[in-house]
Amino acid sequence: MEQREQQGKTAAVKGTDMARKVRGMVKNIYQSAHEAKQAGGKVAYSMIMSQYDEILRAMDIVPLPTENFAGVCAAKRQMDRFLLQAEADGYSQSLCSYARIGLGFDSLRKEGSGIPDNSPDGGMAMPDMMLGSSSVCDPRYKWFQAAGRFLDVPRYNVDVVSPPIRANLEDTRDYYIRYQKEQFRGLIAFLEKQTGRKMSDDRLWESIRLCDEAWRLWYEIDRLRVAVPSPMPSQDHFSIMAAAHYYAGTQIAVDFYQGLYDEVKYKAANKNGVVPDEKYRILYGAGLPPWHTLWIFNYFESFGAVFVIENVYRAYDPVEVPSSVQDPVEYLAWRTFLRVTQWHEKASARSGNPYVEKLLEMAADYKTDGVVFHACRSCRASTLGQTHIKNLLGRYTDIPMMQLTSDMVDLRDYSESQWKAQIGAFIEALAARKRG
Amino acid sequence: MTAGAKLDELYKNRGVRAKELHNAGAIVIGYFCCFVPDEIITAFDMVPYRIQGSQSEPIDEADAFLEPMACPFVRSCFNMALKGSYDFLDGFVAPHSCDTIERIYGIWSHHRPSPFNHMINVPHMQGPSSEAFYRSELDYFIKSLEDWSGRKLENGKLIKAVSLYNERRKVLRELYDLRKSDPPLVSGTEILKALVAGMGIPGAEHLALLRRYVAHVKERPKPRKDKTPRIFIWGSEIDDAAFIQLVEECGAQAVMDDLCTTTRSFWEEVPETTDPVEGIARRYLATHCPRNDVPQKECSRISDLEQRYGYIKKFIKDWAVDGAIFYIVRYCDTCELEGPDLREYLNSLDIPVLMIEDDYSISTIGQLRTRIQAFLEMIG
Repeated sequence: MEQREQQGKTAAVKGTDMARKVRGMVKNIYQSAHEAKQAGGKVAYSMIMSQYDEILRAMDIVPLPTENFAGVCAAKRQMDRFLLQAEADGYSQSLCSYARIGLGFDSLRKEGSGIPDNSPDGGMAMPDMMLGSSSVCDPRYKWFQAAGRFLDVPRYNVDVVSPPIRANLEDTRDYYIRYQKEQFRGLIAFLEKQTGRKMSDDRLWESIRLCDEAWRLWYEIDRLRVAVPSPMPSQDHFSIMAAAHYYAGTQIAVDFYQGLYDEVKYKAANKNGVVPDEKYRILYGAGLPPWHTLWIFNYFESFGAVFVIENVYRAYDPVEVPSSVQDPVEYLAWRTFLRVTQWHEKASARSGNPYVEKLLEMAADYKTDGVVFHACRSCRASTLGQTHIKNLLGRYTDIPMMQLTSDMVDLRDYSESQWKAQIGAFIEALAARKRG
Repeated sequence: MTAGAKLDELYKNRGVRAKELHNAGAIVIGYFCCFVPDEIITAFDMVPYRIQGSQSEPIDEADAFLEPMACPFVRSCFNMALKGSYDFLDGFVAPHSCDTIERIYGIWSHHRPSPFNHMINVPHMQGPSSEAFYRSELDYFIKSLEDWSGRKLENGKLIKAVSLYNERRKVLRELYDLRKSDPPLVSGTEILKALVAGMGIPGAEHLALLRRYVAHVKERPKPRKDKTPRIFIWGSEIDDAAFIQLVEECGAQAVMDDLCTTTRSFWEEVPETTDPVEGIARRYLATHCPRNDVPQKECSRISDLEQRYGYIKKFIKDWAVDGAIFYIVRYCDTCELEGPDLREYLNSLDIPVLMIEDDYSISTIGQLRTRIQAFLEMIG
């Protein structure tokens, strides 16, 4: 009964004006792909955080982020028909639900010879190619291999490699960067074949400059969020990330973050908090967000608990590539290596776990009172290790922690009553700790 | 004791021989999956030990450290490690074969560290740059083993180890050839036991046993032809014979397979080159694991499936397969994504497929009996 009452409400009330503008940006991702197709341009199914964004921009290829589409479907509660179609096609309910939505969408498109009726945001345009990667998880390259069942378009996947925590970086750096560069070179050769055009190094450099600037501004915004009371909550993060990931390498992203930076700076300076009476500051520790139920952040706020920072979807702080690197593709390979090894040194020195080190730093900087994790039943990459992280964190901090379980988009794994009971107990723990 | 009985004993009492060697001073290196070369460990005069789980023991301790939506095979292995079953390992090596194995490395080596712990990063892509990278990772693995053990890897020993394991591969293929007759001279259950038995003992010992075993099987009287369906088993980690036994009890012959514990781990030989690490890198990277991305040669569905599964077509033809059963361990994303594609391919060869997702537990296997029986009736 409770769940039915909430059926119409999925989104969260945002804390910033800029976050409210993101919806239009997201719609435009799909619209611009349709427009590009009409104008004879190239559209690629893509995966964010594959480290190749700037290459696509430099070659005028419109990225179509298939995972984001799954999130949009969930936020609009229009995911069921795609999930069920994929399951009817033989994909297990335990498989990544982002992939199931994407495969279900493509299956229905093939079956009906066109975009399924009333698809959210107009649906995904027919891609000219699919570009997966091994960055983050296995389904992000296997998915597009499987999608070949429904789409007769070429596929190209790249490896994104990260040395293990205790690897000696002096011993491994050169060949990791060399391999990464060769992977990007392979992708460029593929794209040049698909487009019939050579990539311009100058355009790639320009795209890199814009991407780095946007990510720097995003980092600065997050630094402003240490302010008490919180000027920008996590539900805003899960909207404003769209600019960095889906508009990477464009002026649009830079302008957006400049505007957001100004707004958050103003709010922080004027102590304009997310809620009038901020009692508890929460760290979103790990796990993909529950796109189907983002209003849950507001539910926490009703108890004075604000999510002030999060450790998902902004995986890297800015890094400094050596100035001796003069080739843009080598720059991308270097930047990838530096990004993925950012926490190696600290992790090796203490907990052995980079996430723990990052969370401890966040907990201290952002003065958080508790940590919430979200375990997603169909996402191995973001879920496995949460319990271990929680256990390790407990050695260094006594702040309360809680792990909620559902899925990023599959509502069948979510129980509102169970979550509310857990949240109630968690708030009690926060209050008890405050009382001392 | 006959070779068959010895293999059966080793299968039942896994780890006993490795423990014995460890107690006698040998260095035992435990590892996961098909991507850690036995040849390298053997050339160091160490004992390679392929880590296995237990489908009959409940997972009762691991959940305090690892989420239940992880691959139950890995959870089972880790559960055994927590209970001390793997305390005899002097080394623990995990390849980055999939998300779960990659993640378990840090958790396992934190809670049950071995004296030597190492992760090998295995490229997901294939091609010259991936081979070169994997080779570098193997060189780094060798260097790490050298630094830790104080032993220097000798090229001659590595070349010998490559020959040894290639010989074992040859004998295993010979054993598989004995499944070609109708009905086969050796059952799928027996084959699985013979393979799993060898995963915890030195390669030379396994080879000697297999030679005797193959000679013995060849002497078996040729059974009369029957009309029992000939089944190809595909999937991930089956290290307990219960499932294959169930298929055979239901009235089928399991005549061929493509599993992490069977052909996938031994079928192709390592090219015997003067630079053995190069040959090893090439062979291991080409392992037919669903976690690999086989690049497209041309944009065509038929060509893509052929490129990925052409090797299975030969299995189907040469072993005269009538139907296929997939055993997918739940939460194995790569197998879950691969299954429907392989089914499409096999259907195009007129091979019917039963796709099963299960929990890596013999307590659930009984429930599968009806489905298997119905499938066999359908194709029978």
